[in-house]
Amino acid sequence: MASITINGKTIKVKNGTTILSAATSIGIRIPTLCFIEEINEIGFCRICVVEVEGEQDLVSSCNTEIKNGMVIETDSKKVIESRTNTLQLLAGKHRFDCWKCPKDGMCEFYDILKEYDILFEEFGPGIGRKDELIIGTGISMDQTKCILCKKCVAVCSEVVTANVLKFRDDDGMNPFVSPTIGLNFDETGCIFCGQCVKVCPTGTLFETDHIGRVNAMIRDPKKLVVVQIAPSVKTAIGEEFGYEIGTPIKEVEGKMFKALKLLGFDQITDVGWGADLTVLEEGTELINRLQNGGKLPLFTSCCPAWVRYAELYEPEYLENLSTTKSPHIAQGSLIKHYYAPKYLNKKPEEVYVVSIMPCTAKKYEIDCPGHEVDDIRDVDAVITVRELAKMIKRKGLDFKNLEDYVPESPLAKFTGAGVIFGAAGGVTEGALRTVSELLDNKPLEKLNYKFTRGSDLRDSKGVIKETTIKIGGNKLNIAVVHGGAAIKEMFKRLKTGKKKYHFIEFMECPGGCVNGGGMPLVRDLPMHEVIKKRTEALHRYDSEDLPLRKSHENPSVLKAYEEFLVKPNSEEAHKYCHTHFTQKEYRNE
Amino acid sequence: MTTESRDVNNLFEKWVLDADTKLSELDLVKNIKTYLESQHPEICGKCTPCRDGVVKIEKLLDKYIDGTATLDTLSEFEKLTYNLRASRCSVGLDIGKNLEVVLENNYNVLYKPVKEY
Repeated sequence: MASITINGKTIKVKNGTTILSAATSIGIRIPTLCFIEEINEIGFCRICVVEVEGEQDLVSSCNTEIKNGMVIETDSKKVIESRTNTLQLLAGKHRFDCWKCPKDGMCEFYDILKEYDILFEEFGPGIGRKDELIIGTGISMDQTKCILCKKCVAVCSEVVTANVLKFRDDDGMNPFVSPTIGLNFDETGCIFCGQCVKVCPTGTLFETDHIGRVNAMIRDPKKLVVVQIAPSVKTAIGEEFGYEIGTPIKEVEGKMFKALKLLGFDQITDVGWGADLTVLEEGTELINRLQNGGKLPLFTSCCPAWVRYAELYEPEYLENLSTTKSPHIAQGSLIKHYYAPKYLNKKPEEVYVVSIMPCTAKKYEIDCPGHEVDDIRDVDAVITVRELAKMIKRKGLDFKNLEDYVPESPLAKFTGAGVIFGAAGGVTEGALRTVSELLDNKPLEKLNYKFTRGSDLRDSKGVIKETTIKIGGNKLNIAVVHGGAAIKEMFKRLKTGKKKYHFIEFMECPGGCVNGGGMPLVRDLPMHEVIKKRTEALHRYDSEDLPLRKSHENPSVLKAYEEFLVKPNSEEAHKYCHTHFTQKEYRNE
Repeated sequence: MTTESRDVNNLFEKWVLDADTKLSELDLVKNIKTYLESQHPEICGKCTPCRDGVVKIEKLLDKYIDGTATLDTLSEFEKLTYNLRASRCSVGLDIGKNLEVVLENNYNVLYKPVKEY
């Protein structure tokens, strides 16, 4: 223990803590721009500087460990002046077109400038360090707004482990952050998970805009626009309209559907339905591979970022991937080829499908080869939760006072297994509920597979959870892997070949879709807390509010099989609900 | 440290440490600028006060050379110099300390062109 004095208050803290965490523990806020706990503690931005008695220079509080007897001032004149000056320097190289900034009011940099009343005395607001716009199908980068905090670089290398974004300081006076110089994101090893978009304190990194596309679709009178909404979106859409994180889903669900109706979508469906279908397809695939000696372990293929990771970095494992399309693509293809012709009297080419997703990689996924049937793309546009909130606000809807609405479409009926897809471990849990009942031929007693759950600090970097389950006389080794670092670790284990796995669920974002790159931004809570709250909301919805919790009990999915797909993994199912994967080239330099 | 920058550093220390520099204001400003430019290869670009501050200081010195310096220029120069104390490594800190000595010893020289405005 060490005793230190912060702003005249003497406290005792553990050895090894930083000044920043010591100050936070007694409620003194020190502003930061480049700090992420445990991931980015580099002291680049120099906003968090404090004055330490006896030291000539100001020290950065985020990466300076406390020493016994330290006397620290966090708001002396020297400190405030230094912060103001540093902010002025940063602002001098940042383009201020805030009204059209994709950050949309959640800009940390803007807020801190406001807090310190930054004036421009000698130099006006800047025009940006570099004026390059790097595009990509999932995420894009506008370098005029970069303030070189290096958060995205840290997340890309530590959390995602893709090492695409790099800090390029060959010329120390004009450094910049970019993927491989001269290439757009699609040509690099970027997997479009969007974690960098979430940590960016300015609008430098942003999801590629699809709002314009969707608005054009809605205005087109000849076409029928069908919207499908992912289960994890419901845990977070309320946050954009003043609800707390982890608000029970039933409170916002009805309002959200009403808002979609008012936005002008013709039909509202729920990806929970597609998830149920995926469980049946993937579960049957697992059973087939177990009984007929197919390639094991079976990898899930619901997460497009993870699929791209496998295609880029682990091509020798592509055969292990389940060929089932991800839920929203499978549902999109069925909306166009089964639901619209049969129930709405529309031809597939007269239908637009828009997915509302917590994910930026889904924007990339819809353009992938293999996600089309008879030359018609399965899904036409993907908007993130933030974009949906923007559309609702722009439409002028008072979200909190909307009345509840229940969509009539049969494709909006889902079970609990489909809902928990949104959280890490959910795919496994949903699949196990179905597979064990199909193999054991008796109703399942315990529906909650506890091993898939739980959240702690490690979750913000990724975790591996594994267990052995006895199903139908087989002992199955099952693993749940989420977070890029964990995926890398899992492949190390797979390559040593010590343990034989049967089923592995991979999710690129730590915590699964609830922590996806398209989710609303949360600034005052650490990542693992957010994951925990949103996951709890999903699980509570599954266990308390839904009568059906197993995918193979979903009546409308069964009806679709009866009327169209015959049975899981049939020829028709392969045509509409399965895809293929190919190795992809990339350059990471 | 490159040989060139070491030479300039020595030169700088020579006339900076001497409080009664007989340099004219233009020469002083030009000397400071040469010194700052010689430090460019050392700057790593990682922290804001040093990376962006040095460039701004050079722009301010350009105003002296152009003869357009005002009182604001001088106060901005002072602020940026003291802000270098918040740098991450000794490159920025050293530049800051050297410039502080300049301000201490030659404030009147830097103030002279300002008075005319």
